Amino acid sequence: MDDEFKDFVDGRPAVPPYRPEARAQARERLLREAHRGFRLPRLGWQAVAAFGVTVTLVGGVAVALAGQGGGPEGTSTAGTVNRTAAQYFPELHPKPGQFILIESDTMYGATAGRADGEPTRHLYRTHRKIYQSVDGRAPGLLLIDGLEPKPWPGEELPADARRAEPPFRSWVASCPGRRDDYSYLSALPADPKRMRERFYQDDPGDRNADEMAFDAAGELVRETYLPKAQREAVFEAIKAIPGVEEAQGVQDSAGRSGVALGRPMSGTLHQLIFDPETRTLLGERGTVLDAKAAGAPVGSLVAHTAELSVTVVDKLPELSDVDGDGSCVQEPVPAESTPPPAVTATPQPDDGPVDEPSEARRRVLPDEPVDEPSTAATMTPQPDDGPVDEPSEAHSTQVPAGWPTDSPSG
Amino acid sequence: MVAVHEVSDTDDSTLIGRSLDDPESFAALFDRHADEIHRYAARRLGPETAEDVTGEVFLVAFRRRARYDRTWPDARPWLYGIATKVVAQHRRTERRRNHAMARMAGAERPGSFDERSVERVTAEQLQPRLARALTRLNAAERDLLLLVAWTDLTYEEAAIALGVPVGTVRSRLHRLRVKVRRALGGNHPFAEEPQDG
Repeated sequence: MDDEFKDFVDGRPAVPPYRPEARAQARERLLREAHRGFRLPRLGWQAVAAFGVTVTLVGGVAVALAGQGGGPEGTSTAGTVNRTAAQYFPELHPKPGQFILIESDTMYGATAGRADGEPTRHLYRTHRKIYQSVDGRAPGLLLIDGLEPKPWPGEELPADARRAEPPFRSWVASCPGRRDDYSYLSALPADPKRMRERFYQDDPGDRNADEMAFDAAGELVRETYLPKAQREAVFEAIKAIPGVEEAQGVQDSAGRSGVALGRPMSGTLHQLIFDPETRTLLGERGTVLDAKAAGAPVGSLVAHTAELSVTVVDKLPELSDVDGDGSCVQEPVPAESTPPPAVTATPQPDDGPVDEPSEARRRVLPDEPVDEPSTAATMTPQPDDGPVDEPSEAHSTQVPAGWPTDSPSG
Repeated sequence: MVAVHEVSDTDDSTLIGRSLDDPESFAALFDRHADEIHRYAARRLGPETAEDVTGEVFLVAFRRRARYDRTWPDARPWLYGIATKVVAQHRRTERRRNHAMARMAGAERPGSFDERSVERVTAEQLQPRLARALTRLNAAERDLLLLVAWTDLTYEEAAIALGVPVGTVRSRLHRLRVKVRRALGGNHPFAEEPQDG
C-alpha cells in the first residue's frame, strides 16, 4: 500500500461483526424479493421486463371478485362481464391522501427448480391487489394470492409447481426517486411526442432501444392510474415505437376485448391491451411466435393478465403481518433492531421529514449529479432526500367493509 | 426455500447466471460476501446503518443481476461498486447538512440536526487528522481512497467497482496521493490520539 494511504489503512475503524439476527433478516428479505413474482419467465429477463413482473413493486394479482364487498367509496367490484370498460374504469378524481386500489389477475411463465437442479416450468397465476398512495407520500400495500397454476404449453404441470404459495402481503414503499403515484403521473406530458421521449430516456445498454421503450411504456401503465390525457398520450406514444403493431379485438384474461399494441421479443408477441374508448390498460398477453425461441408451440399463450378494477379508497385495510419493502435504498429501521440514537433514521411520521419542506419530496431526481455518471447505470437514480415512509399504525386504522380478514389460500 | 445446488466450488458469475432462472439461489452470493460488504459499510457508515445498507446492497444487486458482466468470476468488485453507490446515497441525503464533518474534525460535537450525517459518522470513527484529511477530498476521491484502503480490491477491481477505466483510477490515485500528503501534513502524524466514541 502506498505510504500516503497507509495511515488510512492503519486507521480503519474496528467494526463489530454482522449481527446474526440482522444478517438473517437481510437474507430473508432477499429471499422474499427473490420469491415475490421473481421467477424469470423462461424467455429471460426481457420478457419479465416486458410483462412487468418488475423489480420495483408491481405485481399484481387479482381476486375472486364475486362476493367481494364494495370499497369504502361504494364502488362495487362484483359484477357481470357485461359491463362496459367505462363502468370497469370510470374516470377517477383521486385526492392527495387517498389511495388507488387496482386489482388484477396475472399469469406469467415461471421457472422453478427441481431438487435435482433441473429447471421446470409452468404458468403461475396470481390475484393481486395493490394500493398506492395518490400523492406518493405514504406507503402502499400489496396483497398477492396464488391461484391455481397452469402447465406450460405442451407440458405437464411439474409437481413442485403445485405447492400452494402463501399469501403475500407487503408494504409498498413510496420511493421518491422512482415515482409512479397519481400526482406524479398526472403531471406527465399529455403530448405523445414528449411522452415517447420519456420512454427512451434510460440508457438501453446492450438492449434494443425500441424494445426498452416498449418495456418502459408497459411499466408506466401497469398497475397505475393515469388521467385520460396521459393515457391517450401513452397510447399514441407506444404506437409510434418502431416494431409496434396494433391489433383489434384482442382479449385480456378476463375476456374483455380491446385494442392491442404489441411487439415481438424472444419469439413471443408481447401485447398491451387497451380499452378502445378510455385507453385504460385492460391487460397483457404473450403469444408464441417462434416455438424454438419461446420454448412453446406457436400460438400458445405464455402470459395473460387482466386489470379488473381501479378504485379510490380513503384508507388502507388493517392487516397484520405485513412485510416491509426494501425497494427504496433507505428503508426505515425495523423496530426490533438496535435503536441507533445518532446514526440511523428513527421512525418518522409518514408525512415527510420533519426538518425539510415537503416539496423536497416532490423532486424526482437528485438535485446534484451523481459522482460518477458512468456508474449511474449500476443503480437506480435516487433523490437526495431519503424516504421516511414508515408503515405506521396510522395507515392501518380501518378495515373496509367486507374485507376478508383471512386471505383465501391457493 | 433455496433450491439445492452445489455452490461451494461455483464461481460468483455462474451463481448469478443461475439466479436468472432460479432467483432464490442468489442467496448463496449473500452467504458468500455479506460479511465482507458489511465490514466495508460499517467502516463507512457505522455499525447500525451498515446492517441496513448491506441488505440494500444485495437487494440492488439482485435486481441488477441480469446486467452483471459474467466475464468476471468474482462478484466482489461489482458488490463493492453497488455498496459505494448506496453509501453515496446516504451521503447525498445528508449533504444539505454539510460541514458536519469538518466540525467533527474540529472536535466540536455537531448539533442534533445533523446527527445522521454520514460524513460525520465516518469521521467519528477515525483519528481526527484522518477525518480532517478526508474533508479535503471530494466525494469521488473519498470513495476511491476508502475503497482502496479499506478493502483488498486491486486497482483493476476498484476500477470495475467504480465503473471507470483502470487508467482513470491510476491517475486519480496519483492526484489523491498528492492531496492526501498535503492534507496530512506529515508534521506530527501521531500527535493526536485516535478519537473514540
